[in-house]
Amino acid sequence: MPSRIYLGELEELVLLMVALLNTEAYGVSIAEQLKKQAGREISISAIHAVLHRLEEKGFVKSRMGGASQERGGRRKRLFSLTSYGRNALEELRDTRDIIWSLIAKASPSWKMI
Amino acid sequence: MENDLKTPEWVDSIIDNLAPCNLVEEIRGDLYELFLADVHTHGIRYARRRYILNRLAFLSKSFFWKKSTAANTNSFIMLKSYFKMASRSLSAYKGTAIVNVLGLVIGIASALVILTVIKFELSFDKFHTNADEIYRLVRVSGDDMSEFRTGISYPVPTALKEEIPSLHNIVSLEYMGGVNVDVLDRSGNSIQKFREEAGCALVEENFFQIFDFKDTDFKWIAGNPQKALVEPFNVILTQTLSKKYFGDENPVGQTLRFQKKYDCKITGVITDLPPNTDFPFTILISYSTLKALAGDNGLNDWFSVNDSHQTYLTLPAGTTQKEMEAGIARVHAAHTPAELHKSRHYLLQKLEDVHYDSRFGTLTRRTISKQTITALGIIAVFLLLTGSINYINLSTAQSSLRAKEIGLRKVMGSNRQNLILQFLTETFLLVLMAGVIALGLSEIILINLQSLLNLRMTGYNFTDPFILVSLITVVVVLTLFSGFYPSLTISRFNPITAIQNKFSTESVGGISLRKILVVVQFTITQMLVVGTFIVVSQMRYFRDVDMGFSKDAIITARISDLDPGKRQILEDQLRAQSFVSDVSFSFTLPSGVRRNRSFQDIGRSDASSMEDYRVFEYAAIDPNYLRLYDISLLAGRNLTMADTTGNILINKTLVKNLELGSPQDAVGAELKMGSQRVTVVGVVNDFYSNSLKEGVDNLVMLVREENFSTLNVKLNVTEETGSLQESVTKIEKIWSATYPDFIFSYQFFDENIQAFYAQEDKYARLFQLFSFIFLLIGSLGLYGLITFVVNRKGKEVAIRKVLGATLASILMMFSKEYVRLIILSFLLAVPVTYYVVNDWLSNFKNHIALKWWFFVIPGLLVLLIAVLVVTTKSLRAARANPVDMLKYE
Repeated sequence: MPSRIYLGELEELVLLMVALLNTEAYGVSIAEQLKKQAGREISISAIHAVLHRLEEKGFVKSRMGGASQERGGRRKRLFSLTSYGRNALEELRDTRDIIWSLIAKASPSWKMI
Repeated sequence: MENDLKTPEWVDSIIDNLAPCNLVEEIRGDLYELFLADVHTHGIRYARRRYILNRLAFLSKSFFWKKSTAANTNSFIMLKSYFKMASRSLSAYKGTAIVNVLGLVIGIASALVILTVIKFELSFDKFHTNADEIYRLVRVSGDDMSEFRTGISYPVPTALKEEIPSLHNIVSLEYMGGVNVDVLDRSGNSIQKFREEAGCALVEENFFQIFDFKDTDFKWIAGNPQKALVEPFNVILTQTLSKKYFGDENPVGQTLRFQKKYDCKITGVITDLPPNTDFPFTILISYSTLKALAGDNGLNDWFSVNDSHQTYLTLPAGTTQKEMEAGIARVHAAHTPAELHKSRHYLLQKLEDVHYDSRFGTLTRRTISKQTITALGIIAVFLLLTGSINYINLSTAQSSLRAKEIGLRKVMGSNRQNLILQFLTETFLLVLMAGVIALGLSEIILINLQSLLNLRMTGYNFTDPFILVSLITVVVVLTLFSGFYPSLTISRFNPITAIQNKFSTESVGGISLRKILVVVQFTITQMLVVGTFIVVSQMRYFRDVDMGFSKDAIITARISDLDPGKRQILEDQLRAQSFVSDVSFSFTLPSGVRRNRSFQDIGRSDASSMEDYRVFEYAAIDPNYLRLYDISLLAGRNLTMADTTGNILINKTLVKNLELGSPQDAVGAELKMGSQRVTVVGVVNDFYSNSLKEGVDNLVMLVREENFSTLNVKLNVTEETGSLQESVTKIEKIWSATYPDFIFSYQFFDENIQAFYAQEDKYARLFQLFSFIFLLIGSLGLYGLITFVVNRKGKEVAIRKVLGATLASILMMFSKEYVRLIILSFLLAVPVTYYVVNDWLSNFKNHIALKWWFFVIPGLLVLLIAVLVVTTKSLRAARANPVDMLKYE
């Protein structure tokens, strides 16, 4: 098991959105979902940059989708998770779960507040 | 509404140009989608603003700047390697590379020189505003419209201006050519005397409005352009002449005296006119001077014409050339009797054609036909072609040597495309090297051959963008042309056979093509060499043929002071000199360029109508003239000073044209010359008063002292009398003592005759040069080929020798093929050359007859040179000791 996966907060969010959108993930849809699900307004260029970085690191892969009218005839680049990306997400989630469970045990008083 | 949904384009184009191309589409797509969404929620203006901001935001993202793709990086690295390999292989095969570069350098340099010449010739008078609307009025006359002249009768332009209201821009000028100039001091005394051999013209004040020399450095240095040429006896000078006469002083307001008589005030100074104009003016006198001198009625003669009086005009808007010519014809017809305007037509010639139409000529006396320009262009292409044929031949021949290299490259993973690119890079390096050297060489050639090429340079080729761009084009085209075929053949090798080195020279692709190329190369060479031989023969014929008078050791000078007493003193003093064998005075020379010529009509005593008269050239001579020039008298007697103008000599041609019978019969005949009745006292043999390009004119000689404006001196220079130069100096001294006001400006008569053929002489020399170049390149190529073959066949030769072959048979083996190819190319070259040369010769009334040996001698010469090249190289192989060649086996 790869021991270290470094993902920035935004990277993780975008990666999650890609997973969420399944086959329909591309710049604009990711931006919408980010707003809807996480309440974050991220500029489109930042999203592109993140997607690029993710692709370079091997978390996502991309292909050119079909052209559509509302894009003025231009094609979308559709992103999808690689298995490495899925593993990474799951691992991050597991790591957090483990840490949360430890937090709960170590300071029960938390729940009191 | 839809139209409003446009994204701001400027920002699109900026970003798209900066972005990596594989990302452009998605970025634009996403942005457009957002944009549409924004339009719906916030309106168009907000959407636009956000669109721009979003777009620009991309600029800050690092991925955005990463242009390179995997493919790009790779080919760039490969390019570096191509160059490295290319320079290595060039230095590995130095001999071939040198032969190739030399051939290409010579080819490219000559092509560049030709290009410069063509560019110069095509640039003549193109720089005036509306140059394409300026026309020259020309005169075409004769019943068959066969006489093409530029002279316009004096009243014509004035009448045109008055009677064709739409015609505003019309300018007349009179070209004087040579002129005597005295610089006067304030009180009117001559302080310096000059003789200008060319450049003086009388022009109307609007000359510089029509010919504004706009795209040149032309400008007025002093004086008012509007007024400087309005008043009579005003003159403007070019900068160079102003310097010559006045140094750094301001000449405006000073006075010059022309022809010892006419004082003109300097009213302006202009920069020198550019070399590529057919208006070679250095002294421009106001045209109104002409009217002032001639008086009111002096310029009213519609009949007489003078070829140096020319008229130019700009067509008014909306008028065609045809309409204007019709208008001119109407004006001309209204002023002249039918017999004149039926046979004389004033037509228009485009200024653009002036420099290229030798029928009319130009004031600079130089024209170049468009055919000549095309021919030069073709030669340039041929020169490049022959250089690149060398390259193709040598590199395909050599490719077998490189078979192993290619094989290994293929094994290591080179594909064909890589190999082709590599060979093209090699070719490119070589051609580029040749191109750079050629640029330098062409500069040297141009500087040294300016007079031969009839070219006046204004700048350097290095800095001329046109030449540089052409050079780059030539390099690229040559690279592709000469590199493509070899690279295709070489890259086609099968790696296994290549590495086993199973190639012999013969089986390498391209042997038949190589033969074809050698034939092409030598066909061109043979055409030029044969052509040159014939052109040079014709020139020798021009020089050596008996023109009907002697032309050696005669110097001539123009006399401006016609006082008979002074003339007598001059003659007596000259005759007292030991080196002077004869002296004569005349109106003009028997022949030669730039002599006075004057024509009249003559007829038999029974002549009644115009048709009975013949045009003849009039020559005033003294009794010594015939003796001095060795012109033979066929019948009758020579003239004496006592013969008044009533007694004349005529030439044989005139006897024939007037049908006077034999020369003996003609003596004593009464003729009508204008209104005068004259008697023939003698008949002289025909001599060529024109160049040999033309026939013999009718000629009448008579004694008329007031016309003796030419001094002819026959020299007899021997060792006792001193050198030719000393003799001329002595004559000059005697001259200055007699005519202190005039500068002794003399000419050797034979040079004057030779000047007839200046153009042809230049062609002949150019032809010689070109055929030499072609021979050189061709021989270089042969040398390269044969070197290669000899090296490859060393062992074969050795074995043959061991088996008893003689030296001769081995030499034969090497040269047989080339001899065959060259004979074939000779056979191809002959018909083309025959056609072209025949055409050229038919321009001349007197020319050599084409004989078979005119073709065979130069053909043999080329063959000899080729065989020489082949045998000298193969001799070494044939002489080598077979043991040295074979001992490694």
